[in-house]
Amino acid sequence: MSARLSGWIVFFAAAIFLASLGYMAVVARKAVRREAILGANRILDNTVLRVNGILEDVQLVANNLEGRIYQHLDDPDYMFTLSRDVVLTNAFLNGCSISFEPYYFKEKGRYFSAYSNRIGANVYTQQEGKDSYQYFYLDWYLLPKLMGQPCWTEPYTDQEEFDDKTMDSKMMVSYCKPLIGNDGSFVGTLSMDISLEWLSKTISAVKPYPNSYSILVGRGGTFLVHPDPQLLFYQSIFTEGLVSPNPEIMKLGEDMQDWKEGMQEIRFDDVDCFVFYKPMMTTGWSVAIVCPESDVFGGFHRLRNIIIVIVLLGLLIMYLVFSKLIRKQLNPLRTLAVQAESIAYGNFNTVLPENTRNDEIGVLSRSFAEMQTSLVEYIDKLTTTTAKKERIEGELQIARSIQMDMVPGKFPPFPDHKEVDLYAFMSPAKEVGGDLYDYFIRDEQLYFCIGDVSGKGVPASLFMAVACNLFRVLSWQGNSPEEVARQINNEMSRHNEQLMFVTMFIGCLDLKTGCLNYCNCGHNPPVLFTPEPRFMSCLPNTPIGIMPGYEFEGQTMENMRDVRIFLYTDGLNEAEDQNHEEFGNERMMNALASLSPSENAQGVVEKMHAAVASHVGIAEASDDLTMLCLKLA
Amino acid sequence: MKRFVLILLALFPALLLPARPREVSDTLVFTPQWTAQAQFAGYYVAKDMGFYEEEGVNVQIIHPNVTQSAESRLRSHLSHATTLQLAQAVEIAANGVPLVNLLQTSMNSGMVVISRRGKNPMEQRGAKVGIWAGGFTQLLESVVKEANLRFEWIQAATMVNLYIAGALDAIVAMTYNEYYQVKQAGFNLPENCIYRLADHGYNIQEDGLYVTREYYEKHKELADKFARASRRGWDYAEAHPDQALDIVMRYVDRNHIATNRILQSLMLKEILNLQYDPDSGEKEYRIRPDMLQLTNDIMLKAGLIPRPVTLEELCR
Repeated sequence: MSARLSGWIVFFAAAIFLASLGYMAVVARKAVRREAILGANRILDNTVLRVNGILEDVQLVANNLEGRIYQHLDDPDYMFTLSRDVVLTNAFLNGCSISFEPYYFKEKGRYFSAYSNRIGANVYTQQEGKDSYQYFYLDWYLLPKLMGQPCWTEPYTDQEEFDDKTMDSKMMVSYCKPLIGNDGSFVGTLSMDISLEWLSKTISAVKPYPNSYSILVGRGGTFLVHPDPQLLFYQSIFTEGLVSPNPEIMKLGEDMQDWKEGMQEIRFDDVDCFVFYKPMMTTGWSVAIVCPESDVFGGFHRLRNIIIVIVLLGLLIMYLVFSKLIRKQLNPLRTLAVQAESIAYGNFNTVLPENTRNDEIGVLSRSFAEMQTSLVEYIDKLTTTTAKKERIEGELQIARSIQMDMVPGKFPPFPDHKEVDLYAFMSPAKEVGGDLYDYFIRDEQLYFCIGDVSGKGVPASLFMAVACNLFRVLSWQGNSPEEVARQINNEMSRHNEQLMFVTMFIGCLDLKTGCLNYCNCGHNPPVLFTPEPRFMSCLPNTPIGIMPGYEFEGQTMENMRDVRIFLYTDGLNEAEDQNHEEFGNERMMNALASLSPSENAQGVVEKMHAAVASHVGIAEASDDLTMLCLKLA
Repeated sequence: MKRFVLILLALFPALLLPARPREVSDTLVFTPQWTAQAQFAGYYVAKDMGFYEEEGVNVQIIHPNVTQSAESRLRSHLSHATTLQLAQAVEIAANGVPLVNLLQTSMNSGMVVISRRGKNPMEQRGAKVGIWAGGFTQLLESVVKEANLRFEWIQAATMVNLYIAGALDAIVAMTYNEYYQVKQAGFNLPENCIYRLADHGYNIQEDGLYVTREYYEKHKELADKFARASRRGWDYAEAHPDQALDIVMRYVDRNHIATNRILQSLMLKEILNLQYDPDSGEKEYRIRPDMLQLTNDIMLKAGLIPRPVTLEELCR
């Protein structure tokens, strides 16, 4: 639980961190990007300014020289002096040629190009046009001629061979001006050459980031400055596109070629880069700084990574600390859980650790301890009670047996008196009940009774036992039913502090005459089948046990031969179904009326039992039920 | 001011140097008509793969330089074999230097005119059109003359920079060389800006391998072996273009040529395409009589040759 809880805490903390860091990263990245663009543009501006400054110096010198050339157009040999002087006096110049159209100076023939060139500390001057060097077919000569205006050539490598001295190849560029004759026609080209080593160095040195590099491309996209020497002059920004076009690089090339300035994000050799570019309007070239994204965002990424590590470590520490803390906090609970489990398995005497904490867990521990104590006490009590109950239940079973033995249960009851058809049934609602019935024959007199003690269970059963015994003893003495009732009443009401009572119907049937003497002591009036069932007429005597000395009145019915008498306790007519609806007198009478006239006593009792059982259904028996049916043939 | 482009210029002036007969006994010196590039891949392959050696020919490949063009080396016997366009060979033979065609590699014309102004160059009447200062354009000049286009031909050592700068309205180019150089400079070159001679009834073969008749008569066996091994070299180059390209790049590097592998690979592909006969679709390695006839007709009409050159004159 501690791990899960800690996990959730860390999860939510991580989510909050992530959202905050994400927002910070986006904002910071934008700021870094903005700063990088500004920085790169500043550097590019400075670079272009520096380069242009030197190129403009060349243009200025050329403009000055042009005027002097025009002053001496009639003196071709002076061109040597002019070209030599200009190279000597301008240290940044590598060479200068003043070249003319074929046969412009007729005396000089097809070729006339006054050329001075600096080699080391010396300046060499010569006429360089010849059959093997027809200068007027070359770019530097043709460009100003065709364009009709001054222009810069594309840079080129120059491998000089001068007076048998061989020089290393150099990157050169020439500023060329067309020379116009007096008649307005093109007469030749003034060309000034400068080495671009300084340019290459200047541009290569532009390195705003550790792994960034600068490139310079010519008008045709040719790499004039590039960190990879294999590409210099040999390859252009479009070369790769000839076989595998890359729209990003093509777009960059086109922008640079169109003298646009800007920034593009391009993937070079599997590295995401920012390319900042700016044109050099003087020459038509374009300079660019390629900065790997990892460099531009290097600081940002380092900071981000550090923060991520710190956050991760923090979250880990948070997880561990919270785990430990929660585990410690929950430890008593865990112990409690183990002990509760132990207690659940019946080890009620498990010793709980003492908890002195005042928080909820302390309260819970103490409550649990108290609960355990209560539980132990309760279990003890329960055990004792259960034992007692079991004993009582055992005793009750015995009592039930005794009680059932107290009422006659042998049927037919009088094998010697075939004329007597009698059947009785008793079912206590609990182990023992308060209903009773009895019968016996003495001197051809059939004494019988049915009764119902107030209340149920053991007290009622004891009361019933007394009533039962008194009935038998007093009846056996030949007393009339009302006398039996009177004496039982007097006897039972004497020490009746519980104020219990019993309703009884006591009858005495003369087997010879068929005359019935009876006394109904507050009991349900029996039903007579004549042959239709009807309630027997009964005087309103009080139940037995209530009023000592009460004078019970008896009644007599003559000629009861062939008349079925059905006696019952209120367990029959007051039996309730699930909805607490009583069986009732009406249902009882209907059930009795439906019986066949030839039904014997046992049949009557059993069918009535079945009828009431059908009414009660699955509801619990609410009262003791006793029925007795009698007929004298 | 001897710039790197200078070497190209020196290739063109034909027959400028006086003939200086000089025999080179057992070695065959071969000079292609241009600096080292994939246009001559078959010969480089034959040399480096030992095909010449297997034939028993000791071939030396010497490229033209500042002072010695291929033609001048041939005429001065410094070189025994060279490559020439068919029109060039016809011009030389008709003007008195009998030549023998050992191997006709090209079966098509790769010559085109590319407009700088975004339209059909043949509709640019009076346009300034760049051509190579040294030649190769006899046929084109004749075609233009016939169409009365009045082009102002601007001879230049190289034309690509002039084209890029917009100094010219159009340039003459080879589909395997300048065409790709211009594309490499960022020009898209839509088809309507390109006039292909081959598509307009002037599909005339170009590169072939030549020796002088004089040399051939004396070293017939050697020349035949050289031709056989060269053809094998071309076939091998076609079958193994990557290997051939590796070999070409070795020659390129050795001669400090300002090019790159991609351009050379495109050149090799195009050169090999041009070697297939337009009718049969096969590599035939022969001069087609109809193309020779057309060359003679055009050049006679333009007054470039005094007489037609027959196939028999050029054949071994």
